[in-house]
Amino acid sequence: MLGDWAQLWEIVSTPDNVPIVAMLFLVPFYTWYWWRQAKATDQLIGQLEADPQMAKTHHRKVFPFKTGWDREVHTWPYLMRIEFLAAIIVTVILMVWAITLNAPLEEPANPNLTMNPAKAPWYFLGLQEMLVYFDPWIAGVVMPTLIIVGMMVIPYFDENPLGNGYYTFKQRKFAIWTYLLGFNGLWMLMIVIGTIIRGPGWQWFWPTQTWDHNRLIFEVNRDLHTLFGIHDRLLAGIFGAVVVGIYFVVAGYAAHRLCMATPFTRKIYQRMSLTQTLLLQSMLILMFSLPVKIALRLLFRIKYVLVTPWFNI
Amino acid sequence: MPEVQSDDPILKQSYANAILVSSFLLVLTLAWALYQEMFGLRPWRFYQTRFVAAYSKYLEGQKPKQKAAEEAIVKSPEYKSLMERIEAAQKAAESRAQEIRSELAYVDRRNSALADTFMTERARIAALVYQTEISSSESSRKSRKADVDEARNTPLVLDLPTRDGKTERKTLTFPQLEAEFTGLKDRKATLTGEQARLSNGIRDLQQQAKAYFEDRMVGLTVSQLGSLQTAAKKLDPVIRQINVGSAGLVDRCQSCHVAMDPKVVPANLVLTKADLGMAKSGDAPFSSHPNPELLKIHDPDKFGCSGCHGGNGRATNSVENAHGRYEHWLWPLYYKENVEAGCQSCHAADMVIEQATVLNRGKELYRIKGCIGCHRYEGFDNEGEQLLSARQTIRTLEQQKKDLELNVPRVIAEADHAADNTTAQSLYQKANDMRVTTSNIDARIEQLDHRNASLMREEKKIGPSLKEARMKLRKEWIPYWIEHTHEFRPTTKMPQFRLTKDEVQALAAFVWQNALTGPVPAKQSPGNAEKGKQFVETRGCLACHAMGEGANAVGGTFAANLSRVGEKDNFDYLVRWVRNPRERTRPYDPIARVDLGPEDYSKFNKPFVFDLDHDRSPDGKHLLQVQLPTVMPNLRLTIEESRDIASYLITLRHAGASYPPAEFMDDAKLKDKGRALVKNYGCASCHELSGLEEEGRIGTELTTEGSKPIERLDFALLTEEAKRGEDPDGKKSPRGSWYDQKGFFEAKLKQTNVFDKGRLTAQLKMPQPGMELPDRTALVTFLLGSVDQQLPQEYIYKPGDARHDIQEGWWVVTKYNCMGCHNVRIGQQSVLSGLPQYQGDTKDKLPPQLIGEGARVDPAWLAKFLENPSLSTTDTNRNGVRSYLAVRMPTFSFSDGEVQKIVRFFAALGSQSMPYMPPKLEPLTDAERTMARDLFTHPAAPCLKCHATGVPAHDASASAPNFLLTRERLKPAWSYRWILDPSRIAPGTAMPSGLFRKEGDVWVFNGQLPASFKGYTKDQADLLIRYLFQLTPEEQRMLVGRSPAPGGKPAGQ
Repeated sequence: MLGDWAQLWEIVSTPDNVPIVAMLFLVPFYTWYWWRQAKATDQLIGQLEADPQMAKTHHRKVFPFKTGWDREVHTWPYLMRIEFLAAIIVTVILMVWAITLNAPLEEPANPNLTMNPAKAPWYFLGLQEMLVYFDPWIAGVVMPTLIIVGMMVIPYFDENPLGNGYYTFKQRKFAIWTYLLGFNGLWMLMIVIGTIIRGPGWQWFWPTQTWDHNRLIFEVNRDLHTLFGIHDRLLAGIFGAVVVGIYFVVAGYAAHRLCMATPFTRKIYQRMSLTQTLLLQSMLILMFSLPVKIALRLLFRIKYVLVTPWFNI
Repeated sequence: MPEVQSDDPILKQSYANAILVSSFLLVLTLAWALYQEMFGLRPWRFYQTRFVAAYSKYLEGQKPKQKAAEEAIVKSPEYKSLMERIEAAQKAAESRAQEIRSELAYVDRRNSALADTFMTERARIAALVYQTEISSSESSRKSRKADVDEARNTPLVLDLPTRDGKTERKTLTFPQLEAEFTGLKDRKATLTGEQARLSNGIRDLQQQAKAYFEDRMVGLTVSQLGSLQTAAKKLDPVIRQINVGSAGLVDRCQSCHVAMDPKVVPANLVLTKADLGMAKSGDAPFSSHPNPELLKIHDPDKFGCSGCHGGNGRATNSVENAHGRYEHWLWPLYYKENVEAGCQSCHAADMVIEQATVLNRGKELYRIKGCIGCHRYEGFDNEGEQLLSARQTIRTLEQQKKDLELNVPRVIAEADHAADNTTAQSLYQKANDMRVTTSNIDARIEQLDHRNASLMREEKKIGPSLKEARMKLRKEWIPYWIEHTHEFRPTTKMPQFRLTKDEVQALAAFVWQNALTGPVPAKQSPGNAEKGKQFVETRGCLACHAMGEGANAVGGTFAANLSRVGEKDNFDYLVRWVRNPRERTRPYDPIARVDLGPEDYSKFNKPFVFDLDHDRSPDGKHLLQVQLPTVMPNLRLTIEESRDIASYLITLRHAGASYPPAEFMDDAKLKDKGRALVKNYGCASCHELSGLEEEGRIGTELTTEGSKPIERLDFALLTEEAKRGEDPDGKKSPRGSWYDQKGFFEAKLKQTNVFDKGRLTAQLKMPQPGMELPDRTALVTFLLGSVDQQLPQEYIYKPGDARHDIQEGWWVVTKYNCMGCHNVRIGQQSVLSGLPQYQGDTKDKLPPQLIGEGARVDPAWLAKFLENPSLSTTDTNRNGVRSYLAVRMPTFSFSDGEVQKIVRFFAALGSQSMPYMPPKLEPLTDAERTMARDLFTHPAAPCLKCHATGVPAHDASASAPNFLLTRERLKPAWSYRWILDPSRIAPGTAMPSGLFRKEGDVWVFNGQLPASFKGYTKDQADLLIRYLFQLTPEEQRMLVGRSPAPGGKPAGQ
């Protein structure tokens, strides 16, 4: 039953969830704010590039600035005063927060009674949500490891020197799109789903839908191979491996196409070594696998694609 | 900032406004934080300030009244005369006191003048003596000795004050000085002693005056009020906290409830909201504890507040938090109507708790309404469980024995063929051991049997045995009853089940077909209904049963209302039932799980006889259940009386009541369906049913229901309504959200299937108990108090000896409804005493009250009496003690354990120690016997006028017990107190008071003393008691002739 605004209010007003509600607004705001700045810079770059003289003195590819602007300004007072202002505002926010919201303490833990829904701290809710789509050791061990490793290797395959110290879109399209998709589109979204959408029994409740503890839903999740009438374990494993293989090929091709999409990306691609390219491609393929699996699970109720005695995907 | 010639926005942008605004905001936030810190999070500050203002005003307002009261006392002649006496005494002592004072002053002066010199000299001489003692050579010792002597003999010149204020110069040696000093000290001691003696008398008088004042002064004196006012003015708003380390309680309740703090409001001052002029204020937590008596036995310093009341004692930042009325605090404050739930934490084992009437009622209801039938509760009615486990053990043991017996010949055979001697011997030994083991098993079975015999007597079912249904009930009535339970009898214990017509038919058919078919009770001829009615009204039936419907109902509610009993019962059975309600149609063999009939007995050539004396199965192996498991006792009526009563009862019916024919009752097809339903609804929990004797309880155990997590209480589709505070009927709930234990229990008891609301497949089978709101509140209170214990063990009330006996005794006393006929504890009124026929003069026809019974009777006699209240094996149609009472003390067939519990219970209630040793009474001399006889038959105290004697002609109008019982029955000490002043022990008794008067140290007869008493100086009441305790039947018979004719005003006790 939709329209239960009290329920929605209860969820969003829980002190635990306040950061996420704030995030709901802050992330789009800062994305927009970045976008505005990047637009201005990109426009400036365009102007500077149109004027060869200016390009020489004011652009230098990595450091665009307008005529009449200083090339450098002093930290004191120009940076410090802004930081000071920010410090004041953050202090005010923290104090108001501290006064109005108490620590969300609950009753002593009761080993005989598990809370429902049992939710991880908000920053882990994305990981918890991933458990719906993958086996625990894939969602809880392999994926987080890959995410961390992936972020660690970014400096090694991103050799684009541009966009350092100023906002730009034009000069870092590829990186920015990857970020928007991977962080905003996947990570943030999953945290929001985990907080606001997932209710008792980790069932899907639309906002303003009552979190009814007695809710029963009938849903059967199937493995992909059963849809194709394969029931033999070995055949199913082979079938799953083939499907996963196809995904890797298709996704690899798609990633490659992406890298070759514009002259700009082609240039980047040409600069990369084989190792860098392969690394980048595998990270992209793995990242795409998450939304693909989410779609398979939510839209087609498919539980596993590849079933083996050791792990399932 | 330097002037910059630049277009750079970073340089040109000014942040002054932004910084100004945010700094301003920061200051505001800081102020807000400080306010929160000082006041916002400390609402108790406001409460304390408000309280101080109101309290000071109240104290001020009390002053004139208290002053007047004070003056009234001070001006009373008694007080005045006391004051005058004090004054006179002071005056009398004054001159001597003056002398002593001046003499003491002189002694002190003189003493201080010489003390310095004396002490210096003493120290010097002591040092010299020491030096002498440790001298190593004789010569040095000598010279040191000389030094000592010299020091002692040196004259000392002193200026000493004299009595007349001058100084005299004296020259003294040290020994003289010492004598002077000691003399002064002695003198001072003598004088001080005298001074104290002088003032002692005055002090006594002053204390008398003070005591007189305090005894008469109600409330506080003006000076006390004043000092409280001063203290209140200085009151600093602080957190007032009780810290009970052992229980982990930190209670800051007094921070708002200031008047609960004895340091602020003294314990003897009871403050109410009205006193403070805040009667209408909804937010004035300022009354002092409404029950200071309770606090006296539960010192808040030891028990805290939240230990009993619940709530979050640590929280001080809001009312909701402090009262624990939020989702995460598991022990919220009990609401006012359920406040006694807190008692249950420590007093779970007590059946009756003083001052906790609601909780007591809850516990009583839990038992008598039969909740216990389906819902187990630790400590309640566990005879059934014990029986089951004992029977289980017996079965296992019998199997073991059988196995062993089978094995013995095998082992012997093996031994016979053993290869060598050693093996053979060890095998023979083994066979022997096995035989011995079987005998041990027999011994154990015998013991268990013994226990079972007791348990079987104790085990009572809530409802009647349905094995007898066919004997007892009208066939067509059964389905009607199941369907219209509360319509037929609104006060019944039987709850109303929600059943379809088919289910009703199946259930009724099962009950009918499953019941015993014979042997049928003997055919009875009709009796005299008129007489029967009289018996019902006088024999005491009304202590448990009520007659008449609705508002006209008269009698007890412990058992069924009999007003329509004629519509359902079979006359022949009813006669049997009235005669002996425990009589079974067939005895039940719980080990073999069958009801035995004549055919089983004839197999062993035994007559079909079974009762408490013939309680073994015909094969002699098992103990049988020979009684019906009902609490209804045997009133020892004759068959004629039973017929009369039954004839009367059978007339109790609605005119023209008829029931539709019920052919389906014999439909064999319905039986299995009925059995399934009986199991599903747990009918066997309350009723005895063939084949279902060992059915377990079907409901949830409720021992710790009050602390069940809210998630475990199934609000089903009402969850959201409950959280929103919407009642099941859609109205706004007055309490707001009722999503808590209290809300669940209340809703469920009001309408047991309320949580099936909106569900397509209704599942709840708990039937509807017919209960009004106060009873439901009592049960809810009981359930709320039934919590998993948080307090440490030493807080649980686990009384030793006497109090423990009381605890245990209550279970028995309430189980058999002793309080229907007797007043057992002070303040309680029996059911009978409230009936119209016992008002006014007929009060003496009531059964005796049992307050102080333990002090009155010999426990050994009481045990005997309880087992057989007729005190006779032949003439049982009578009361053993009060044969003149129409009300009958019935035979309950108590188990030995129950008898012991009752006896110890009364002993403990009467503050008697157990075991009781009758004291040795001084034998009477011949002269004393004559005197006692004279007293006994004295016209001013005609004992035998009322007391029964056993002579039928005399006893026809007797109204007090026979004296021949005295020796065995009563305790002399009690009897002595009784004849001195019976009305103090039993107010309203017909036994006259003032038979004796006190003369010096002894009690003497308050009437014309017979001549024989001349020169007798001993206690005459004691003489009479001694005589009574040595009275023989012959003696009494002889005296019957001498005493005045019986009749006249009857006596009670």
